[in-house]
Amino acid sequence: MTAISLGQRRRLPAWGAILGALLVLELGYFSVTNRNFFGGGTGMLTQIELFIPTGILAMGLALVILTGNIDLSAGAIASLSSVVVGTQLESGTVIGAIVVALVVSTVIGLVNGLIVAHLGIDSLLVTLATQFIASSLAVSLAGDNPPQDFASLFLTLGRGTVAGVPVALLIFAVVAAVVALLVGRSRFGRRLVLIGHNAEAARYSGIRVARTTVGVFTVSGLIAGIAGIVLAAYFNAGRSDSGMALLLPAITCVVLGGVDIFGGKGRVGEVVVAVLLLGFLTQGLLNSGFSSLATTMVTGLLLIVALVVKIAFEVRSDPSVLASTADRLRRRFAPRRPAADHG
Amino acid sequence: MMLTVPTGKGGTTYEAHSIDKAFSVPVLRRVDVVFHPGEIHTLVGENGAGKSTLLKIMSGVYAPDGGRRILDGEELGHLTPAEARRRGIYLVPQEPRLMPDLSVAENLYLGALPRGRFGLTVDWRRARDTTSGLLETVGLSVDPRMLAGRLPLAHQQLLECARALAQGCRVIFFDEPTSPLTAHEADTLFALMRDLRDRGLTLGFISHRFDEVEDLSDRITVLRDGSVVGRHERGTVSRPALIEEMVGRALTLTRRTQRDTSPGEVVLSVEELVSPPEVNGMSIDVRAGEIVGLAGLVGSGRTELAETVFGLRQPTAGRVTVMGRDVTTAGPDRCIADGLVYLAEDRGRNGIFADVDLGTNATSAVIGRLPGRVGLLDTQEEARMAQRMLVRMNVKAATMTQPIASLSGGNQQKVLFARWVLAHPRVAIFDEPTRGVDVGAKEGIYQIIEDLAGEGLATLVISSELEELVRLCDRVYAVYEGRIVGQLRGDAITVDSVGELAVGAA
Repeated sequence: MTAISLGQRRRLPAWGAILGALLVLELGYFSVTNRNFFGGGTGMLTQIELFIPTGILAMGLALVILTGNIDLSAGAIASLSSVVVGTQLESGTVIGAIVVALVVSTVIGLVNGLIVAHLGIDSLLVTLATQFIASSLAVSLAGDNPPQDFASLFLTLGRGTVAGVPVALLIFAVVAAVVALLVGRSRFGRRLVLIGHNAEAARYSGIRVARTTVGVFTVSGLIAGIAGIVLAAYFNAGRSDSGMALLLPAITCVVLGGVDIFGGKGRVGEVVVAVLLLGFLTQGLLNSGFSSLATTMVTGLLLIVALVVKIAFEVRSDPSVLASTADRLRRRFAPRRPAADHG
Repeated sequence: MMLTVPTGKGGTTYEAHSIDKAFSVPVLRRVDVVFHPGEIHTLVGENGAGKSTLLKIMSGVYAPDGGRRILDGEELGHLTPAEARRRGIYLVPQEPRLMPDLSVAENLYLGALPRGRFGLTVDWRRARDTTSGLLETVGLSVDPRMLAGRLPLAHQQLLECARALAQGCRVIFFDEPTSPLTAHEADTLFALMRDLRDRGLTLGFISHRFDEVEDLSDRITVLRDGSVVGRHERGTVSRPALIEEMVGRALTLTRRTQRDTSPGEVVLSVEELVSPPEVNGMSIDVRAGEIVGLAGLVGSGRTELAETVFGLRQPTAGRVTVMGRDVTTAGPDRCIADGLVYLAEDRGRNGIFADVDLGTNATSAVIGRLPGRVGLLDTQEEARMAQRMLVRMNVKAATMTQPIASLSGGNQQKVLFARWVLAHPRVAIFDEPTRGVDVGAKEGIYQIIEDLAGEGLATLVISSELEELVRLCDRVYAVYEGRIVGQLRGDAITVDSVGELAVGAA
C-alpha cells in the first residue's frame, strides 16, 4: 500500500525568514545610528505612515501579479480616488465621499478586468491605457484648485492614531489580512493562484478564467481606491499626482516579497514584510539625512540584490528552475486567445 | 549539393564511465555506457529509471556527481551544453527548443553562425548556401526563410537534427523524439537516424515504444532505478525479456481481459456534433459501465470532439447530453458539475500545475465543492480528502506537499485521474491516458480505468495506441476527417481491424 504523508505544516518560508532578518537588521541599524528614529513609544510606528498607501496598493497588485497579470493603472486609480474623495468632501458627508471614491475606483478596475479577460489583450497594455485615462480624469477633476482642508474626522484616516497605533497602519493591516485570507483560504484565491501557475490547465479544470480575472482586477481597483483615500487624508488634499508615484514602489514591494512576476508563486505575508522593510528603509534613510534620490537608489540596489539571492537559492535547490523560467517566458509571450468562459 | 555531414570511418566513441548522480535521491548509480560510432544505442527503462538524466549529463546539461565522460579517449572535465556542442555532442530534446520567430535558416545556425574572415562578422553567404543542403540531408523540404514556429512538430524535430549537423556534431542524442509524433512522422525521423548511423555518426536514443526500439537499435542498454540491468546487441533479446528487465518482473502486454459487460443506460449522448474545421458531424453514445474507444489518426478530430463535448470549444450544430441533461453549450465548469470530465491529452500544458503540490493539483476541478466554513477553505480536511484519493489511485509519492513535477509521468497521470474521480463523474473522457507513461505504470492506469468502469462510470478512451484500445474497450468508434467512419464491438476489435478503420481504409 502506498503511503503519502500529509507533510508537516509549512515551515517558516525561507524567503520570509531572510526578509524578516533583514528587517530586524535594518531597524537595529537605524535605532543605533539615528537617535531620532524611534522618537518615543509610538514613534517607530508613525515612521512608516508615509509609506502606508504604497503598502495598501501593493496588496491589490499582489493579487493581480499572482494571476500573471499586471495593473499599471493602480497608482492612477489611487490619484483619482483621492481627488474624488476630496471633491465629494466639499459638498457631502465623509461616508458618502468615501463610498463614491471607492465605487469609481472599483468600476475602473472592473473595466480593466473586462477588457483583459474578454478581449484577450495583455494586461500590460490595457492598464497602461486606463492609467492615462484615470490620471487625466484626476487632473481635470482637481482643476486649478485641488480640494483641500478636509474635516478633521476624515484626516484621522491619514494621520490619526488609535491607542498609539496609526489609523492608516490599521487600515493597511486589515487590507493585508483580508488579501492574505483571500489568497490562502478562499475559493477565489485558489482559482487565481492556479490561473497564475497555468491558465490553460485552469481552464481545463473548469475554472472560469475570465470571471476570476475580472474579479482580481476589480479588487485591485477597490484596494487602489482605499490607498487613494488614505493619501488624501495624509496630505489633507486631493492631489492628482499623488498616486502615480506609488506604483513602482508598490510593484517593488510585491516582487521583493517573493511574488513571481509570471504569476502563481508568492505569499502575501512575505509581501507585508517587504512593505515594512522598504517603508522603514525609506524613512530611516530620509531621517538620517540622505536625499530622496539616494533613498530611491538604495531601493533599486536592494531589489537587484534580493532577486539575485532569491534566484541563487532556487537554482541551488532545483537546477531545473532556469529551464522552467524559460518555459514560463515562452508561455507568457505566446500569442493569446481571449479567455472568455462560455456557458 | 553542399554536404557538411561527415561520412566514412573514423567516428567518435563517447563513453560514460561509472556515472553517479543524485537529485536529493540517487538517480544514477555507477552507470557505464559506451556509445559507438555507426550505431544507434538505445536506452530503455521505466520513467524515473535515469535515461534522460544520463543523456543530459552526457550533453552537459547536468554535471555528474561522480564518474567520467570520455570522448575518443579524452576525459571531459566541466562541460556546459555549449561546450558539448563545440565538441560535437548534441542533444535533441523531447520538445524541440527552436526560436519560433526566427527563420528556419537562422535557427539552424543559432549560436554557431559561420564566421567571416576575422571571426568578427557573420558569413551569411555560407550560412545560406549550406542551409538548403542540410535541409535536404534531413529530408526537410521547406523554404529556409519560413518561420520555425510555423513548422509542424515533426519538422521541428528534423530541424533540430539539421542543427546538430550544421554545427558539425558527431554524437547526437535523441530524448524520446517520437512521443509527440504520428507514426508516419516518426518513420521520417527513423529514416534520417538510420542514414546518420550509416554515415558513421554516434547516436543515442530513448524510446518507450518497443516497435521502435526493436526496429532501430544496434545496441540496447536497460536501466532500472538508476542502474544498468541489461546490455543487448541487435536481435539478441525478446520483447518480454526486455520488459521483464525494465520493470523487474514479468508482465503481459496485450492481454484482453474479458470484462463482464452488461452496459447500463446511455450516459453520454452526442448527436451530429459540428465544430469546424475538425469536427464535421459526429454522433456517439456511451453507456454506464462501458469502455468505448475512439480510434483515429492524430488530426482526425478525436481530441477536438472531446474538447467540444467538454465545452472548451463551441459547437456550431448538434447536441450533447449527459444523463439526459443538455450540456451542448455548457462550459467546462458546468460539464463537471453535470458529471462529465475530460482528462486532457497534453498533460504538461493542459493537465498539471507543475510547481503546485499534489493535493492542490488533485482538487483543482472541485474547488467549488471543497470543505470549508463561511467561505474559508478547510485546507487540512482538503489535504486528507486528496490524500485518500491519491492512495486509492496508487500514486507513489513521499508527501502531499511536494510539487507534482517531481513525480514520474505515470504518477503525474494518476494524480490527474484522482482529480477527475474526485469530481464524482458519471462519464469520463480519457484522452491518451498512458502517453508518456512507462510500461509498468501503464498497467496500473488500465486497472484504474477498468475499476472505474466496473463501478458504473461511462468511459470514453481516446488513444493512438491500437493495443491500448484492444486491451480496454468494449466498443470502438473510428474517426476519420472529423466523422465517425465505423464501429467495432467485442471480439471484432483487433489491432488490424481498428487500424484499418482508423486510416479510412475500410
